[in-house]
Amino acid sequence: MLNYGSSLAQWDPFADLRQLQSQMNRMFDTGARTDRDGNWPPVNIWLGDDTVVVTAEMPGVAQEDIDLTVRENTLTIAGKRDPATDDEDAAWHRRERPLGAFSRSVRLPLRVDPDKVEARARNGILEIEMGRPDAERPRKIEVKAN
Amino acid sequence: MANVLEKTGGEVARTGNGESRDTGPIFRPATDIFEKDDVVTVVIDMPGVRPDSVDVSVENRSLTVSGRFDSPDPEGYRRIHAEYVPGTFERAFGLPDTIDADAIDASHRDGVLTLTLKKSEAAKPKQIKVQAA
Repeated sequence: MLNYGSSLAQWDPFADLRQLQSQMNRMFDTGARTDRDGNWPPVNIWLGDDTVVVTAEMPGVAQEDIDLTVRENTLTIAGKRDPATDDEDAAWHRRERPLGAFSRSVRLPLRVDPDKVEARARNGILEIEMGRPDAERPRKIEVKAN
Repeated sequence: MANVLEKTGGEVARTGNGESRDTGPIFRPATDIFEKDDVVTVVIDMPGVRPDSVDVSVENRSLTVSGRFDSPDPEGYRRIHAEYVPGTFERAFGLPDTIDADAIDASHRDGVLTLTLKKSEAAKPKQIKVQAA
């Protein structure tokens, strides 16, 4: 979604700031794999008749720390992964797990009704079930034999 | 298909019974290891693995963890996009002699396996008091 200088309407005065921030983040990166680029968590998308399900692999994120937003046909999964320890005195031998804030937007194959969203997390897999607005359900038209 | 991995309790070597062939790919899970005082903590990402199907075993100073992705597909849906696939998480770690292999605690929460390893008594630093003659 980066549209630098494409048109005045899309001119983003904060783009430079964000770029600076990402450079700073990289500078202070502790070597752990971080996911600030919006590709985490990995998702699978499943399509039903009037519903769509997104499953996301997000180990270590408790259900209450997941922030979901649904708007038209875009689902955003945001949250934060805490480090395994906050202890400054701990000596690290290996640090591979991604950590920090994440936000991932997923384009859905249909528009969904924000009132028809159900999410549950189990064993590090988040499952979000979303339904099409009633007005947009394909309607069956009965052919009258007359 | 459920739970073919048997818990060995660290006494029996897991035999290759060919099961892993049809359970999908084998992944090396992302792992954090840190040490504080006499405790070494190993934190392993195992999303989709049920706590009761995680297998932790120690053999010849080698610590092996494995667990199979066991999260059911949503019923009545067809998959239209995939960024992860079911498989088996497996990884082995060498245990230094300073670790007490009999005192390993394991817990599993939100798809993350946490192992707590303690240093053996013999390996702990000892303070030696100097006696005044």
